[in-house]
Amino acid sequence: MSAIQADYFDGARSVRHPVTLLVNGSRLKLVGQEVDLEYDLGSIRMSRRVADTPRWLYLPGGGACVSGDNAALDRYARESALERRVRQWEAHPAYAVLSVLLIALAVWFLVDRAVPVAADLIAQRIPPAVERDFGRHTLSALDGYILKPSTLDAEDRRALREGFARLLAVSGDKAGPLEFRTSPVIGPNAFALPSGIIVVTDELVDLSDNDDEVLAVLAHELGHVHHRHIMRSILESSATGFIVTTLTGDITSASALAAAAPTVLLQARFSRDNEREADAFAIDLMRRAGIAPVNFANILRNLEAEGEAKHKGGALPGFLSSHPPTPEREALAAGQGSGKAH
Amino acid sequence: MDQPLAAQATGLPPTPAGPRVLRPVFTGNAREYFRIWIVNLFFSLVTLGIYSAWAKVRKKKYFYGSTTLDGDSFDYLGSPKAILKGRIVAAAVVIIYGFASQLYPGSQAVFLVIGFFILPWLISRALAFNARNSAWRGLRFDFTANAKTTAKFYLPRILLLLVSLGLFYPRFAARQREFTLNHHAYGTSGLHCELSVRQFYGIYILAGLMVGGIGAVLGVLMGMGAGRLFELPEAVAGWAFILVALPGYAAYGMAYAYIQSRAGNAMWNSARVNGMRFESTLGAWRLGWLYVGNVVAAALSLGLLIPWGVTRVLRYRLEHFAVIIDEEVVHEASPALARVDAAGQELGDFFNVDFGL
Repeated sequence: MSAIQADYFDGARSVRHPVTLLVNGSRLKLVGQEVDLEYDLGSIRMSRRVADTPRWLYLPGGGACVSGDNAALDRYARESALERRVRQWEAHPAYAVLSVLLIALAVWFLVDRAVPVAADLIAQRIPPAVERDFGRHTLSALDGYILKPSTLDAEDRRALREGFARLLAVSGDKAGPLEFRTSPVIGPNAFALPSGIIVVTDELVDLSDNDDEVLAVLAHELGHVHHRHIMRSILESSATGFIVTTLTGDITSASALAAAAPTVLLQARFSRDNEREADAFAIDLMRRAGIAPVNFANILRNLEAEGEAKHKGGALPGFLSSHPPTPEREALAAGQGSGKAH
Repeated sequence: MDQPLAAQATGLPPTPAGPRVLRPVFTGNAREYFRIWIVNLFFSLVTLGIYSAWAKVRKKKYFYGSTTLDGDSFDYLGSPKAILKGRIVAAAVVIIYGFASQLYPGSQAVFLVIGFFILPWLISRALAFNARNSAWRGLRFDFTANAKTTAKFYLPRILLLLVSLGLFYPRFAARQREFTLNHHAYGTSGLHCELSVRQFYGIYILAGLMVGGIGAVLGVLMGMGAGRLFELPEAVAGWAFILVALPGYAAYGMAYAYIQSRAGNAMWNSARVNGMRFESTLGAWRLGWLYVGNVVAAALSLGLLIPWGVTRVLRYRLEHFAVIIDEEVVHEASPALARVDAAGQELGDFFNVDFGL
């Protein structure tokens, strides 16, 4: 028999009754000035222990007892294995330090290893019909928004389409169609949409010195299609959003998640790793298709010169940029690529 | 046993010796909360977020259990399973929205309209879940406005706000606080407050001037320095840009704290409930420095100082809050809640919605 000091509340009125809890076998007695109650221990639910905060016994009929005598109450606590582990870890500073290290490790593992693999697996299983819908709707959304019909003459288009078909024949990828548009907003640019639609702007064609330079950019975009970067990026940024949500413990930050997928598509902001992968693919494809890789370096230099002229050297600092530094990419095109670019 | 308690136990009023001022006491500390926070974060992460509902309950239980008023601590009764259900539904909606708005760009408008009509229901569910799962002295709090009442309050006002381009926002903020507080109850003892719309206009205009003024100064500075900025090396220019933007965020944080403290003080100082009044003396500058300091500390410590920030804000808020008892009253449980309880259902049965109000 053990006695535990506690307070009793009947659940109907906000009045505290100091009581003594007496446990006798499977029976619990509450004894106080105006209280004399008895319950079966099995009919009582006890709140889980959190640090050394007072613990509650919820009694049948709506009453409740609270006691700060955690040492005594621990003897009657029922908890699952996970609950016990969490409570024990919470009690020791060493486990807090361990948790910090394990969280860092888990975040690294999830973001760097698990998420890309999972995204790749899911991207491969997305039905082509769904992806086609996805791509078409995105293009029509962009058409009403930042893209306008191309003003290239038919001869230029035919030449580029033929070059593009040659690249496709060599690479063996299912991609296209090649879409021509003009856009003052995004300027000289090309980007891939889900299902392999590739959009190239008149501004890019105008900037290039010859068709092979445009084909170099198209080869790069084919790299994104080949490696399924578009769907993967959407999935990856969604998964990363989930991890951030879990870390910040706040579902409201999930609103950032809703914005993730459109942002990725609209700005074609793939990770620098994806760009390196697409660069390497482009160089390899150009060699096989008989286009000199130097064209890729030339168009990159032209794009950078154009960017500098526009922003007076105000390019984004490296840590905010989504693409690898241009000198690195030019070196790759010149055949001096580092081992990092696969 | 001290005198007021004896009076409560017998249900008789105490010897009238003027109002009794009760201050909540927080007995927790940042070290202890850090351990709870980090361990629960780890388990949330390795269970891919599923455990986060249990983690939320443990954290709330810690804060409630560490806060005592008149010698009795608070109790949080929320069910992790109800919270988990709510989170799963919320996540599903977000994913569907994300993909649907990509596949069918027109669907965003549909989501917006549906969201507009669901919003009042979400608000009433969230407030009711939180109130009904909070208890003191064995009595649950309550939020008494159902979805219909909440819709009648919110929908016309949101439309008016949109039409007026937000000009009526201070009036809306005052009425919203009134609506929320006036539908809260401790047991059957309902709270009541009346707020001055004029005062709220004053608060919001001053906050707007704070942000606008500092924004204008920064804008001029950036305009003057913009040319120079581009002459700097790339990496340096990026950091310089961020350094200039920081005071802007700080101004925003201070304005937010100013609104929180002034509006909160106005609400609590006019609030009444069955024999009780309240006193709130939050300082705008002090709260603002706490917020800004917390963000800086969290950023510099990669988030590790978040628990320290949370506990010091809570401590500050509790230290500047008081319950004034004019008349000793025994509060009674709401029969409606007791019925739900007896039926063995979870209160806030459907699911909980986390909602930053």
